[in-house]
Amino acid sequence: MTVLSSSSNLLLLLLMSSLDWLSTPGSAFFMGRHRVMSPAPLEPHITDCISRDQATFQCWWSPGNFHNLSSPGALRLFYIKKDSPASEWKECPEYVHSNQECFFDNAHTSIWIPYCMQLRSQNNITYYNEEDCFTVENIVRPDPPVSLNWTLLNISPSGLNYDVMVNWEAPPSADVGAGWMRIEYEIQYKAINTTKWEALEMQPQTQQTIFGLHIGKEYEVHIRCRMQAFTKFGEFSDSIFIQVTEVPINEYTFPLTLVLVFGIVGILLLGMLIVISQQHRLMMILLPPVPAPKIKGIDPELLKKGKLDELNLILSGGGMGGLPTYATNFYQDEPCVEFIEVAVEDADTGEKEDNQGSDTQKLLDLSQPVSQHMNIGFSNVVSFPDDDSGRASCYDPDLPDQDTLLLMATLLPGQPEVGKRAMAAERGARPLVHTQTEGPQTWVNTDFYAQVSNVMPTGGVVLSPGQQLRIQESTSGAEEETQKKEKEHTGGEDSEEDKEKELQFQLLVVDCEGGRYAAEGNAWQIGGPHSAPMPGEGYQTIFPQPAETTPAATAEGSQSPYILPDSPQSQFFARVADYTVVQEVDSQHSLLLNPPPRQSPPPCLPQHPLKALPAMPVGYITPDLLGNLSP
Amino acid sequence: MHLVSVIQRGVWAVLLWPNLLASSVPLDCREEQGILSRCPSISQEKLLDRVIEHAELIYRVSEESCSLYEDMFIPLQFQRNQVGYACITKTLPVPSSKNEIQQISDKWLLHSVLMLVQSWIEPLVYLQTSLDRYNAAPEMLLNKTKWVSEKLISLEQGVVVLIKKMLDEGMLTINHSEQGLLQNGVQPQMLESVMRDYTLLSCFKKDAHKMEAFLKLLKCRQTDRYNCS
Repeated sequence: MTVLSSSSNLLLLLLMSSLDWLSTPGSAFFMGRHRVMSPAPLEPHITDCISRDQATFQCWWSPGNFHNLSSPGALRLFYIKKDSPASEWKECPEYVHSNQECFFDNAHTSIWIPYCMQLRSQNNITYYNEEDCFTVENIVRPDPPVSLNWTLLNISPSGLNYDVMVNWEAPPSADVGAGWMRIEYEIQYKAINTTKWEALEMQPQTQQTIFGLHIGKEYEVHIRCRMQAFTKFGEFSDSIFIQVTEVPINEYTFPLTLVLVFGIVGILLLGMLIVISQQHRLMMILLPPVPAPKIKGIDPELLKKGKLDELNLILSGGGMGGLPTYATNFYQDEPCVEFIEVAVEDADTGEKEDNQGSDTQKLLDLSQPVSQHMNIGFSNVVSFPDDDSGRASCYDPDLPDQDTLLLMATLLPGQPEVGKRAMAAERGARPLVHTQTEGPQTWVNTDFYAQVSNVMPTGGVVLSPGQQLRIQESTSGAEEETQKKEKEHTGGEDSEEDKEKELQFQLLVVDCEGGRYAAEGNAWQIGGPHSAPMPGEGYQTIFPQPAETTPAATAEGSQSPYILPDSPQSQFFARVADYTVVQEVDSQHSLLLNPPPRQSPPPCLPQHPLKALPAMPVGYITPDLLGNLSP
Repeated sequence: MHLVSVIQRGVWAVLLWPNLLASSVPLDCREEQGILSRCPSISQEKLLDRVIEHAELIYRVSEESCSLYEDMFIPLQFQRNQVGYACITKTLPVPSSKNEIQQISDKWLLHSVLMLVQSWIEPLVYLQTSLDRYNAAPEMLLNKTKWVSEKLISLEQGVVVLIKKMLDEGMLTINHSEQGLLQNGVQPQMLESVMRDYTLLSCFKKDAHKMEAFLKLLKCRQTDRYNCS
């Protein structure tokens, strides 16, 4: 409702103003210059009033069409300051007739107070327009800024554009320093041959940057200002001209860049060529080939995943021959590895105690590589008292056929004299050496005998650990012996023994006779005359002359495949044996098992604490024998 | 969750405590009672600068509101020229020319400003109410006039403190006496309402400019008395 009424009122006002406008065609001062002047005769009117510094102002008038009033003094200007209800019209304080201007100085200028102007002629005709009223702050148009100049800020990398900083000073008439007037500035610029001015944003600082001018073009720049939060601008300043010509440096930098780029590309290409041509060499250097797994004598195919069983088979000697060749090779590489000397616990040699069990284990440990079994060698006489069991010692280069001497015999370190004797006796012949002397108590702990569980086609013997306190005899043992004798060495080959028992091997080679086991072709016959009666034993014994059997050989159950005790005593042999040994061969070439025991102490019983071994055959000594042997 | 919210608030309080101190402390600190005042101490120059900023902003916003109002409700020029005569503050003894301003003392300048400010607080509230009754008043106009009336109160506070600091005077009693605002007294007519509001707006705009000019001159005098024209 209010809007409707206000709009109706506005319409009414519009009508009135139009009428008013018709009545006073001359006054165009505050109506805005857009209004078209009517063709009616103009009466004298105030053309404009301007203040430049908000402290003074001027007003100009025009006589209009009344040319007779154009002479100076014909028209007089009167003003009224409406600061009180009792104010009066006053005449212009200062005329400038040449300009038809009235100047109001500081004393006559009041800010924030409405002024109204009127013109009076000599005839007291008053030409007054209500619209010629104003307050001074609303007519302020500041002077244009002064000292406009510019500086080049930078040129774009492309060399086509540049930025310029324009700076100026405030108009001196405007008292900006005292804060009397707050002024803001507007810069406008355009290219010379264009007509549209570009205006930058108004701001109160006395400098501004113009961005994005083009190289080579000439620009015209001018500036104007106004009071902040007011509407009337001052005049434009004089224009300045900005132009930046081409920079010649571009000509030099561009080719340089090209050269750089091409150079880098060329280097890259060269590097690539080198890499490609030397590819293989580089690959060798950077990624050296990794050797594949390989074991001599074994097909690499088997080493691949999933073929473990076959590998085990080969390693265990069941292969067609891969392993033995390997064994052979091994032996050839290390000819001196033949024996393992195992120290049996002895009162005299207390320090060897700790070696005892370990040595046996070493000997009998199947998990250990085959090579260990091959670490059996001769123990030299000289080095007999060598406490280090397992160490290969090879001082007898004459020993033949070392490869067949896989011996699991243990040497009980004993009295060196015995050993020496034994060695001396056997020198040159026996691959196996012996000696041993041991206290009887040692026998208890040692597994002396080993049961032969299998015989290798090459002559090796597969041993299985015997049991303690039992003399194990078996036909296999006899077979072993025979075979050995045939081979003239009783060297056993490898032993594959059960891991369960710890066996110590003793070498019971007794060769008192200095001969051999007389295996050469006389195996059986040797067995004949020499066969010591081994009651219940069934061992085939060979009598060494000076022998002493190394009954020390063991305790029980250990194997001494090479030495057959010469039926030491009957009670020993009375024990149950796991295998039956052929004792005798008849004239009819029949085997006699368990020949009647005989006691015939071997003449070559060594002087060792062992009890006298009645017969010291070269052959087995059972644990019982050993017990007898101990002194 | 309660604990978390308490902790959050505590953190906020810790972070914002300087702001709390600054914003909540009234400018009129009473020191004569011997109470340990918690007024943030501010130098006289800074205070004057802030007051001037306030005045400048108030003038700018009032000018914008006036323009808005003119464009909407006062399309004819002759109407716009009529308003200079009925300003409510024309009876106030404030200087009106530069000469006068240059001749009067600092004290009088400040007091003039204070008088002006105080005399406009109530009319602006009235203006706000009146504008709210319009059907077509733009939101921006209403917001601006509201903002102006709020800032005017802060300006008053600042000027009071400034007077106290600069002139070492005691606290002035702030009395907002009606100065013949509603001379009619009865329900105004529509047209008169529009014109009256416009008159209020333009008169306030003028007075805001006056305040700004006074304060700036005062500042000039503080910094460099002899060069101020």
